[in-house]
Amino acid sequence: MISDAFIPAVSSLGAVALALGLIIHFVSKKFHVEEDPTVKLVNGILPGVNCGACGFPSCGQFAEVLVETRNSAMTCPVGGADLAAKLGEALGMTMAEPKPQLAVLLCQGNNDVARQTAEYLGIQDCWAATQAFAGPKQCRYSCIGLGSCIAWCDFGAMRLENGLIVIDNDLCTGCAACIPACPTGVLVMQDKKASRYFIACNSRDRGAATKKACDAGCTACQKCVKVCEDNAIVIEEFLARIVQDKCTACGKCIEVCPTKVNCIRLENDLKAVKQKQAS
Amino acid sequence: MKTFRTGGIHPPESKLTGNSPIEVMPLPSELAIPLSQHLGKPAKPVVKMNDEVKKGQLIGEADGFISANVHASTSGKIKAIKPHPHPGGQYAMTVFITPDGKDEWAEGLECAPADWKRLSKQEILRKIKDAGVVGMGGAGFPTNVKLSPPPDKKIDTLILNGAECEPFLTADHRLMVESPEDIVTGLEIMASLFDGPLKIAIGIESNKQDAIETLQRYALPKQIEVVSLKTKYPQGAEKQLINAITGRVVGEGELPFDKGCIVQNIGTAAAVCDAVCRNRPLIERVLTVSGMEISRKKNISARIGTSFSDIIAFCGDMSEKTNQIISGGPMMGKAVFSLDVPVVKTTSGILFINNPALGKSMERTCIRCGRCVEVCPQGLAPWLLANVAQLRHFDEIQTLGLANCTECGSCTYVCPSGRELVHWIKYAKALVANRQKRKSA
Repeated sequence: MISDAFIPAVSSLGAVALALGLIIHFVSKKFHVEEDPTVKLVNGILPGVNCGACGFPSCGQFAEVLVETRNSAMTCPVGGADLAAKLGEALGMTMAEPKPQLAVLLCQGNNDVARQTAEYLGIQDCWAATQAFAGPKQCRYSCIGLGSCIAWCDFGAMRLENGLIVIDNDLCTGCAACIPACPTGVLVMQDKKASRYFIACNSRDRGAATKKACDAGCTACQKCVKVCEDNAIVIEEFLARIVQDKCTACGKCIEVCPTKVNCIRLENDLKAVKQKQAS
Repeated sequence: MKTFRTGGIHPPESKLTGNSPIEVMPLPSELAIPLSQHLGKPAKPVVKMNDEVKKGQLIGEADGFISANVHASTSGKIKAIKPHPHPGGQYAMTVFITPDGKDEWAEGLECAPADWKRLSKQEILRKIKDAGVVGMGGAGFPTNVKLSPPPDKKIDTLILNGAECEPFLTADHRLMVESPEDIVTGLEIMASLFDGPLKIAIGIESNKQDAIETLQRYALPKQIEVVSLKTKYPQGAEKQLINAITGRVVGEGELPFDKGCIVQNIGTAAAVCDAVCRNRPLIERVLTVSGMEISRKKNISARIGTSFSDIIAFCGDMSEKTNQIISGGPMMGKAVFSLDVPVVKTTSGILFINNPALGKSMERTCIRCGRCVEVCPQGLAPWLLANVAQLRHFDEIQTLGLANCTECGSCTYVCPSGRELVHWIKYAKALVANRQKRKSA
């Protein structure tokens, strides 16, 4: 009974599938485009996350252009020096080493130290919050703390902790995808090598106003400027800034800073880079 | 009765203060006057700290074509010029004045009433510009710019917007009942700026019969039509008002003057009259203080720069249950985040609300009921815009009429799933603008 209906259905569909399969096979042979195997090789080396940090929309396009132009200045910031060496090997040339970068958050105003203006109960997204008002924290230069940037990070390097974004330096590849996702501009890229200390505050308010809004804000008290022997700290718009080229990472500024390590922070990832320089 | 063609909602009118006469608020102990009370570039401060200023003196000069002058609301001393919370939600450069109590007018501003009929068009426009008059309905577009459309646009209709469709607000209503002469004169002055046959109409929602009757008495002898409009939100939105009165449709990307229309607000007409006939700059405005959580609800005339906390002190106790203080109407207004925010030229009301849903509401999934599509006065599909915004497909969303949304809030009002539709649309607009800024940079 079943087989009566079953056999013609299976056999007819099977015949159609076979015919179509043959057509596909024929077409793929007939219209076959010879692909440069090097592109495939290069594409295999690349991380394949299509983050856009190199300036191309995808890793595939980067590979095509690289193979075509053989431009040694083209770099993949995500892969770093190791990847540059691998690419050079594959193409038989020396590739420029990318300057490793890191995203850093210029804010230490977590829920314990930053004071709030009002309770925000709308859509939990930084951009949505800025449509309603200047953000739940009193300091309008601060990390809003609703995590818009997290969704933009392809590498899972960002997480939200106590109202503040925390960046995992081991996972951050320096692709800069998170930078345009931040409405207050509190996320910036820093050279990994140059990073010694940096001021983790973004407040351009006068000292008194900064202090009123947050316990971990730079009040532009000038103490660090005075103690710095390398003249590496300048104050611009009521905010201290460390000139990375001059900083020798002596750590004296940390000792005098009235907000303590809250405000001036050491780049944790420095060790790895340092070892490499030594060897 | 006339009305607009598509969409619209009927929220409870709650016009609690429709019969309360305008009370003049006493001078507060400090005034905070933002330099940005209009659409466009903030004004440039022309005073310094510790300067003595007189009432009506220029303190901020229009910076560029789309910008407006800002004046001192009373005489006194400049205490500071620093960023301060603004009712728009952001921080803005603000001039603080400590009043000296004398309330003296600056020189030349007390002069006898001028006969506007003798002035040339340029003089009238200059007077409006000098007085810092902006659209007082909410957007704050500089009035002199609105009254000088490009020469290739032929204006044949001038509409005065007395719809006041937002629930609670009665400031325009009281102004129409109490100073109809000023409003009609202001309208006549604006009409005199255009050549050729001009249809002049005042659109008023039918729930303000007393205002319709009062204005008819003054307007009819001057060939100004008073149009009774159906009580429906958003009757007072510019595009909807044009559609209701003329039947014309202002399409996507078009401005009212593309369809030969100019719409002005009631408060703006009164301010134009003050500016041209009395030489008075815009330094005070009428606003409604209402909502269930304030004991004495009233319409007040307050100086620009009066802080919300001073207004609370004047209007009696705010109840403990208040969890939202809104600047503007309940549909399009913004909840303020600080009581230090001042009254600005575009503050049409302050509402004290106990919103029981606040904080409990959870956005649920769209059930495709289509109510938001039914009520959208712009003929959009708000649910789709919100969904696409959530997915962050910002190229696609622009093809769905994102720019055409006027953020009237009708869709959020009817959504049975409690979705923040307008908020998502605003979010998309912000991110689209940010992307364009980055592309051009």
